[in-house]
Amino acid sequence: MNNLLEQFLSEARDFLQGIGEKLMQLENDPDSTELMVELFRFVHTLKGNSGLFDFPEMTRVLHASEDLMDAVRNGRVNYSQTLADQLLEAMDFVGSLMDEIEVTGKIGSNHLVISTELTKALRALLDTPDAVNVPVAIEVYTEDALTVKGISWSELPIMDLPETIAMGLHRCSIDGETVLWLQYTPEPECFFKGEDPFFLARQIPDVAWRHVILNNSASTLAEMDVFSSQLVFQLLTIAPETELDDLLRYVPDQIHRVKIPALAFVKPSGSSTDQAIDDDVIDSVLALFDNDEIDALIHTINTMLELSSPELWSSSALRWVLHLIDAEPDNKPAQRILLEAFRTQTAPDWSVLTPPIVPQHKTVSAPIHVNTSEIPDTLLRDFNVVINTQKEILSLPATSSGAWSAGRLKAVGATLIGCYRAVQRPHEIEGIEAALNIALTQNSPVPLLGWLETSLANTQELIFKGEPEPVVASLAAQPEVKFGRRTDDARGENAVAASKTLKVDQDKIDRLMNLIGEMVVAKNALPYLANRAETVFGVRELSREIKAQYAVINRVAEEMQDTIMQVRMMPVSFIFQRFPRMVRDISRKLGKEVELVLEGDATEADKNIIEALSDPLIHIVRNSLDHGLEMPEARLAAGKSVTGKLHIRASQESDRVLIEIIDDGKGINPEVIKHKAYEKGLIDEATLERISDQDAVNLVFAAGFSTADVISDLSGRGVGMDVVRSAVEKVNGTVGIESVAGKGTRLFMSLPLSMAVTNVMIIESNKQIFGVPMDLVVETVRVPRVQIRTIKQKQTTVLRGRIVPLLSLNDLLARNEAQLPNEDDEFATLIVRVHGEHVGILVDDFRETVDIILKPMTGILGGLPGYSGAALLGDGSVLMVLNPRELI
Amino acid sequence: MKHILVIDDAATVRLYHRNILEKAGYSVDEAINGIEALEKSLVKSYDLYIVDVNMPKLDGYGFLKEFRRQEDVVQSPAIMVTTESGNHDKILGYAAGANLYMTKPTKPNELLSYVRLLLGEVAE
Repeated sequence: MNNLLEQFLSEARDFLQGIGEKLMQLENDPDSTELMVELFRFVHTLKGNSGLFDFPEMTRVLHASEDLMDAVRNGRVNYSQTLADQLLEAMDFVGSLMDEIEVTGKIGSNHLVISTELTKALRALLDTPDAVNVPVAIEVYTEDALTVKGISWSELPIMDLPETIAMGLHRCSIDGETVLWLQYTPEPECFFKGEDPFFLARQIPDVAWRHVILNNSASTLAEMDVFSSQLVFQLLTIAPETELDDLLRYVPDQIHRVKIPALAFVKPSGSSTDQAIDDDVIDSVLALFDNDEIDALIHTINTMLELSSPELWSSSALRWVLHLIDAEPDNKPAQRILLEAFRTQTAPDWSVLTPPIVPQHKTVSAPIHVNTSEIPDTLLRDFNVVINTQKEILSLPATSSGAWSAGRLKAVGATLIGCYRAVQRPHEIEGIEAALNIALTQNSPVPLLGWLETSLANTQELIFKGEPEPVVASLAAQPEVKFGRRTDDARGENAVAASKTLKVDQDKIDRLMNLIGEMVVAKNALPYLANRAETVFGVRELSREIKAQYAVINRVAEEMQDTIMQVRMMPVSFIFQRFPRMVRDISRKLGKEVELVLEGDATEADKNIIEALSDPLIHIVRNSLDHGLEMPEARLAAGKSVTGKLHIRASQESDRVLIEIIDDGKGINPEVIKHKAYEKGLIDEATLERISDQDAVNLVFAAGFSTADVISDLSGRGVGMDVVRSAVEKVNGTVGIESVAGKGTRLFMSLPLSMAVTNVMIIESNKQIFGVPMDLVVETVRVPRVQIRTIKQKQTTVLRGRIVPLLSLNDLLARNEAQLPNEDDEFATLIVRVHGEHVGILVDDFRETVDIILKPMTGILGGLPGYSGAALLGDGSVLMVLNPRELI
Repeated sequence: MKHILVIDDAATVRLYHRNILEKAGYSVDEAINGIEALEKSLVKSYDLYIVDVNMPKLDGYGFLKEFRRQEDVVQSPAIMVTTESGNHDKILGYAAGANLYMTKPTKPNELLSYVRLLLGEVAE
């Protein structure tokens, strides 16, 4: 993937995110024009970006979205829920395309249908058909123009159109629409390629007329190969060519298309009779025409029409005359040809029609001169475009263009100088400069314009004579010009385009972190070295210097570590931002009304923690929506407001992040939980009797517990809160629940800010050292042998009035050795908290606690659940860190 | 070497133009909106400006209008680049001080051809 595409994808995701957020905000504040403008800008920019690549499916949908948002922004279409849904769906589609591009680098061909449907749906919301379709340039196809394009009148497809359609298309043509004739001949084998010619043919938009013919090479029905396509589709459309290009991009070789000039539609049809119109009558009609007595002419034609049968060719021709007079009143030559055609009763021959009708909007009447200079055609064309543009700029009336500032004049001057230099006419520059100086003193564009016109007249060889550029400058009646449209976006939420952030590959950060970790370890070797210098080599001074140097390195290393931690910190908004949309979708699906309140989304935590948090949190929110909050009727009956409240709150408590999910729903009924747990065999009868309500509520975290009676689409898919608990515990977090029946539920998760540095206690057992994460260690005690009792073959002791089961580490690790007591016959015991229970682990001895960088084990060792990982110690030895949760 | 300032809020478009222009041997600076463009253009003089229309804070029209009002700067040509093609928009841009309009996405050859013309460079 090239860097441009990468950049596009990364930026586009930001935009999609931004679009989603804005839509959410709009739901609460549908009248905010500010939001609307922002939203439009996002969609607009995204569309613009996608246009850089060949992703027509994506661009098409975005284009329709942009048009829709434009209409909303301008108040032509009202913002509505359906509209938001449609837009969100479109953005989801775009997102899925991006996923595909990210993986494969391109868009598969299977999205055309959805893309077209979405586009159609979006366009349908633009219910006001764009009536204000200002014709840009009237392109007249004369015989000349046709010849230039390699088509002559005789080659035009023969169309037998109904008269009304032909008249309609003729008028479209006159109004500036391009009418295209398409002939689509599917490959004979197309059916075997999974193509659907009918579908494609029906996809073509704005079709005025179509029909299908059989391209059967003279065979009987019996000989016909029914598995090969012999169809030819012919149709006339006024759809923009770009749209057709998109649609037909897979079958370009099967398409023949011709631009149909307006007059080609003027073709009377009907039955000829020998009862031709008298030459006298024709002469008198022509006389009326030549004398420009149009009213009398129309009157005469109407009378003739009344007298003749409407099916006749001549009647049709008469109707065409009326049509032509109406549609193209100034095109006298064409009208005359049509009238002349009465004599022969044959179709009018437009090829004799010269000269062309000159479009009135042309600003440049390009005299035809042969280009004798050596300047390439393309350069000459571009030169003409730029020069004509400057001419247009200089002709702008001062009223509608704002004041003529010196800067604008200078810029035009600079542009002209550049252009003349580029076409190797440097001697013109003096003239431009002189004209510019006069213009500047007069503060008027006229001197420059005068120079330019004179110069153009004198340098005919610089005028491009190829295809005329449709330069249009209808300057009259321009509305008042407004400048510098500012959108007030000082607030941070509009930071999508403005934030000065650097996007760095996560791998690079991880690598940097590993290196810093290694350095921290390497640094720890210095105290050992100092020690050796003194004890082994007996150089005390050196030892002291090493220690001094160590202090410096230590400080820098710690700062580096802090900084890299900061880099890895992410705000929880990263996961919070998806909730508005999710809650909205789910609550709508369930028919519940929910108000979501997000708090503290600026709270930061390590990226790994944030990522680990994401899935459990989604699960919990789904649960709350599905099981916690009641239906509106039930809420009313319980005397609560119809709208349920869901709070998601993040806060920092010393070195931990606390996430709370609070709903004011029906809460958890401990009785129901108890019985459910009993039915599922999670607790025995005795427990059922004496379990406290809080403990009962905690049972929802037990493995295999799910209270949902019906497995719905949203939650209760066999995974329950136990999955949440294990996910949270994996990152050394804890999870808890409090609930008051009828009032609501509070679920909280406490997670470390960072997982990068782990504080472990080093213990010794069987002449080996191990680490135990400190956040699991409740306390360390020495238990005298006499206080260890054996109950049901299990060792236990009573500690501060609690019975604590004791396990020997050697047994847990399957080492067949007894733990060693100290000289007072006491066993070193580590009390750890596992699944809310206190358990004592007997070891040989305690050592110090250290901060280490815990590396999870990989490969075969990764399958050992008893260890959470390994770390390097300062002296270079490896410390295995135990995972008591799995071990016990 | 000629200096060109590309002003666009979309990083993708900026990169796209940068790639084209740098390959052709120009030095390219970027600005993400009209305000930043003004700041940059007042301290360094560029030989050409490529200006997007729709930008936050200060749009392309606003930038050009303001820039063209400055007395002591070199008034280099400006190409306005936008997806909003249409007569009305063009007039707005020209009145603000643009010298040429191009529609997005710009075709590399076309862009370079116009850039060379505006910079007065003779094609090889």
